[in-house]
Amino acid sequence: MLVNLTVNGARRSVDADPATPLLWILRDDLGLTGTKYGCGIGACGACTVHVDGVATRSCGLPVSAAAGKRIVTIEGLDPAGAHPVQRAWIAEDVAQCGYCQVGQIMTAAALLRVNRKPTDAQIDGAMSGNICRCGTYQRIRKAVHLASELL
Amino acid sequence: MSDALVTRRSFLRWTGLGGVALVIGVDQRDRLIVPMPATTAAPFEPSQWIRIDESGEITIAAANMEMGQGVRTSIPLIIADELGADFSRVRVVHVSPGPRYDDMRTSGSSAVADAWTRLRPVGAAAREMLIAAAATGWGVDPSTCSAFNGIVSHPASGRTASFGSLVEAAARQAVPASPRLRTRDEPSLYGRRVLRVDGPDIVRGSAQFGLDVRVPGMRFAAVARAPQYGATLVRFTAATSRAVPGVRAVITIPSGVAVVADRTWAAFRGRDALQVEWRERPGALLDSAHYLSALEAALPRGKQGRRDGNPAAAFAGAARTLQATYVAPFQPHAAMEPLNCIAHVRDGRCEIWVGTQAPNEAQAEVATLLGIAPDRVTLHPQLIGGSFGRRLTNDFILEAVEVARRVEGPVQVVWSRADDFHHDKYQPGQVNRMTAGLDANGLPVAWRHETADYHLTTFEAYDPNYAVDGNPWGAYDTPYEFGGLDVKLALLEAPVPTGAWRSVSYPAAVFARESFLDEVARASRRDPVDLRLALIPSPGILIRNGVPRANGDRLREVVRLAAERAGWNQPFQRLRDGRRWGRGFACNSYHGGTMVAQVAEVSVGAANDIRVHRVVSAVDCGQVINHAGLEGQFESGVIWALTSCMRSRMDFTGGRAVQANFNDYRVIRMNEAPVIETHAVASTLRPFGVGEQPVPAVWPAVASAIFDATGRRIRKLPFISG
Repeated sequence: MLVNLTVNGARRSVDADPATPLLWILRDDLGLTGTKYGCGIGACGACTVHVDGVATRSCGLPVSAAAGKRIVTIEGLDPAGAHPVQRAWIAEDVAQCGYCQVGQIMTAAALLRVNRKPTDAQIDGAMSGNICRCGTYQRIRKAVHLASELL
Repeated sequence: MSDALVTRRSFLRWTGLGGVALVIGVDQRDRLIVPMPATTAAPFEPSQWIRIDESGEITIAAANMEMGQGVRTSIPLIIADELGADFSRVRVVHVSPGPRYDDMRTSGSSAVADAWTRLRPVGAAAREMLIAAAATGWGVDPSTCSAFNGIVSHPASGRTASFGSLVEAAARQAVPASPRLRTRDEPSLYGRRVLRVDGPDIVRGSAQFGLDVRVPGMRFAAVARAPQYGATLVRFTAATSRAVPGVRAVITIPSGVAVVADRTWAAFRGRDALQVEWRERPGALLDSAHYLSALEAALPRGKQGRRDGNPAAAFAGAARTLQATYVAPFQPHAAMEPLNCIAHVRDGRCEIWVGTQAPNEAQAEVATLLGIAPDRVTLHPQLIGGSFGRRLTNDFILEAVEVARRVEGPVQVVWSRADDFHHDKYQPGQVNRMTAGLDANGLPVAWRHETADYHLTTFEAYDPNYAVDGNPWGAYDTPYEFGGLDVKLALLEAPVPTGAWRSVSYPAAVFARESFLDEVARASRRDPVDLRLALIPSPGILIRNGVPRANGDRLREVVRLAAERAGWNQPFQRLRDGRRWGRGFACNSYHGGTMVAQVAEVSVGAANDIRVHRVVSAVDCGQVINHAGLEGQFESGVIWALTSCMRSRMDFTGGRAVQANFNDYRVIRMNEAPVIETHAVASTLRPFGVGEQPVPAVWPAVASAIFDATGRRIRKLPFISG
């Protein structure tokens, strides 16, 4: 079945089972492999994208439900890869293996859109859905505070 | 030097840049060479570690596998430091295993130590050739020149030349057989915070992990594997699977049934639609509680390990004896990137794209499997989304090859999260029984450490005549001096697949040793830190076969440093905001190399909810290569240790794994992460490694902090629901 999507500002059409999670459409049909698979049940946050500005676990969103919505992936967060969150992530040397960081960045960017100066508790609340097995949480927190200053 | 001239012309042809490059490598006997490239038109990679272009850009080969420990930054940094390069001009490239890169295995936290020995001379040779080129041009003695930040200088005259400007002349120099290594008083890239080289790609989403690789014409596969270890395939129905749109093939392979499809989701759905019948393995099907009690029952059968002094006499003469048993359960690896591998078998060759800690072994094993020569197997290493020892076993690569050899075109076998949990090579459970004899003053004078452990199935077949020498880790290298020390090991055959896990058998034994020493300190009303200092010998140096095995003075220093930075001797309020607070101390010598001491601060609420607030670490790992990397490894190791002791473990029932995802194996998240502080001793000793070293002392530091807060000693992990 043909599904029409708007991804990173561009109209994209895919022929897919409408129940396919958006995650796999992004990765396998649209060539956007920045968004990662980590668990498939929305428990780890690696698949986080923005749907109409809201941080969303794309592994749990059927592509049919994404039709007609504005989807932004890491590739579209900033044309130069220089979103304040991305710049803060570099400045604070956050990433270790890096696999979870796209999801972390997308969640942080969505948080800062609605809360420009989050407290530590608010950062916890927004970002505890994103797992990092390398344990970069301390630097993520610092980077969110720094990004808030760079906004 | 005609060889070098021929090389230079050949490289002009090979690089196709029309420019000049200085290329330095080592051959298999570690002799420095400027190698000849192949003259064939096929893509070819000569043995090289460093390439410097006329522009001054430096390309460094990363032969160690990046899984978050930072080797794509730290190893090039070591080479660049010796070379005298400007690190901002360095570009790091993947290389493939083969005769020219024959030692890419990345494990045991050894990459930095190995590079210190093997790769510094490569950087030094290139530096001396650049200096020789400049000195010849200036008509000065090379020993009066120096290289740093990509520039060769002659301070006496103020003359300088960039590396790029010297490349052509440098390529004509003789390669020094024994180049001089930099001394620690020369300008250096060490001691700074160097940013991760892959950082920009990671934040843009363009960093490519194994799962992200896309090869033209590739398909995706999911494998239905036996849910119970050792079960065999009886039959399956493929019709329902083939009916799923996008499914192309359903095939039997040695590890199960593979569903091959046009897309990952179709492969998963196709596998879900399979009807498979398995025959359970005959014999008793047990559960993890039994696996752990079997260990405890085996303690009396332990074989003799290290024995110091006269343990029997020391125990006999003790005024009082204490004993306690500590239990650590099985654990999974559960890295963020589930296992995956792309394989393409055609025309008697095999091409593989995969993240693995053992690329050379993978190449050899695939070659053996297919009955072809290793040079017909091309393996493209990828960034790894976490490994922690899992990807040291190449079962998932061989499985992908088994699929690929039965279909046309490249195929990526993708493991779901449940696959990854259920077909792990687990950290085995371990039981330790500690016994101490105390003298009339409460000082421990007799010490017995008995370990019961399971063998690692991925390394070797179980041998009932196992050797004890050098085992168990954390007991054989007990860093304390007693009138009598007695170590015993009972090694049992593992009931489930087991493999290397971050710090391997250290954490369970160190949990027991350090927790028990804390119990002894409490029983004799001594401060736990003071007791360590009373028991760690000075200088306490032990070197066996040229390898350091113990260093009391270095351990004592980190004990003091951790205590000082944690404010151990400052007042500590134990009742705050309705919660009981406590702090605990532990330390460890990691095979006599890296020394670590840690202090944990915790609070426990009325509902017995435990929160870890702060972990302070002091470390002596020899020369620190990159402070940002060192701190990262401690931040990482502390969180890793907390996940495996706070609340989570791997259970088995009926011979099958229970936990399947992050909803039932709960890991530490941002809201539970403590403040992590790391303090390094300034050392110019050769570096020892920090990948695994931060882990072992965390469990006992936290357990002792919980005791300090509540008076409750936890001896069985995890702390909550252990």
